[in-house]
Amino acid sequence: MGLVALSLAIITLDYRQGQSGPLAAMGRGAQAFMAPLQEAVTSATRPVGDFFSGLAHLPSLERENQDLQDQVTTLQTEVSTNAQLQAQLQQLRDMLGLKSSLSPEAVPAVVIGNGLSNFHYTVTIDKGSDDGVRVCQPVVTGSASSPRLVGQVISVTPISAEVRLLIDRDFSVAGELATSSQTGLVVGQGDQDLQMQGIPTGTTFPEGDTPEYVFTVSYEIAGEHGRYPPGLLIGQVSSVHEASNALETEVSVKPAVDFSALEFVLVLKTNASEGCA
Amino acid sequence: MTRRIVSVTAIVITAVLLQSTVFSELRLLGVRPELLFLVTIVLALLEGPNEGAIVGFGAGLAQDMFLDQPKGITALTLTLLGYGVGMARQYIVSPSPLLPTIVVAIGTALGVAFYEIVSFLLGSFDLSAAEAVRIALLTAAYNAVLTPILYPLLRRIVEGSRPRRVVRF
Repeated sequence: MGLVALSLAIITLDYRQGQSGPLAAMGRGAQAFMAPLQEAVTSATRPVGDFFSGLAHLPSLERENQDLQDQVTTLQTEVSTNAQLQAQLQQLRDMLGLKSSLSPEAVPAVVIGNGLSNFHYTVTIDKGSDDGVRVCQPVVTGSASSPRLVGQVISVTPISAEVRLLIDRDFSVAGELATSSQTGLVVGQGDQDLQMQGIPTGTTFPEGDTPEYVFTVSYEIAGEHGRYPPGLLIGQVSSVHEASNALETEVSVKPAVDFSALEFVLVLKTNASEGCA
Repeated sequence: MTRRIVSVTAIVITAVLLQSTVFSELRLLGVRPELLFLVTIVLALLEGPNEGAIVGFGAGLAQDMFLDQPKGITALTLTLLGYGVGMARQYIVSPSPLLPTIVVAIGTALGVAFYEIVSFLLGSFDLSAAEAVRIALLTAAYNAVLTPILYPLLRRIVEGSRPRRVVRF
């Protein structure tokens, strides 16, 4: 019974003190202790895990192959047009004297573990405050030219950090539809696709198979900048429901990142403010 | 006694480690097992309510350290679960080899449900009721599947480290 009372005391204490209390510090200690072990186990078991997830995807591979080949043909034609546009863009940029890369410095990291819970979606990465990783910094994956949003750092130890994923139910980010430039709040929904809220009815979406993408958006309110650099790909619109009695359109967004196979990420060293987690 | 503490600690650390690495890739319909629930239930079943409660508290606290939640919820859940299963043990007379599997399944479902309710009351739970029930049942099923594999192993470790009773004549 003493233990029950102790548990209740711990819940109360931690609930009241949040990130600054002794229990939060204990948690960070435990995470730092576990990080090297997680790293070892993950590097040993990743090939096995890849094998099993490969098996699970086997039936869809043939269809995927066909789809991809079709895509290659389409893309090849697009590439030639793009090269032309790229040259044009470069010319215009040079003319305007813009800096081509405004993106902040980034720390590459490896995913060494996943969260323990069935109710939250987090991963552990192998870089921490020793490498300049801070709470609130955005985490992306993909190449520098086409970064895709993964999530946000929520706690750091000297050698590891916890990242809350885009699909976590506590995660939200301002997003912008590529064609209509309408902005809305993108909220994680766990295993389901993300929900984008606040899109007015009557917003136009591309017809047919043309995908509509959602990117992070930059904004500034009273001198405070948004937490995420603009232009990070969040995902692709998967369904649009026109709700006749509501003032807005419900938009589902499929994340651009495959979270089941996440391995390498980049932490963007923005000057994130404290108190966002 | 020291040997006992060391072996139980090792079991708990291994469970945390496996759950955050291997089992996060081997999901069953999107759900991973709750290895620390399984460990607590099995140890309570083998050793009774007191040790069940102590192991549950330790295992729960260990898991809490890695969750983005008010810490202590899992500790509370597993303390009660360990005690409850330990107490229930004396009413169970069935010698069936399936017994641990059934107890683990029921215990996990109840434990996860309790955990969901407590975190709901603390305002850190935002799933629909249907989703909450689905996760509780799937976790229970996954834990039940793992029991026949892990029960003999845990039993061996626990019985091997049981303090020897000194018999005096």
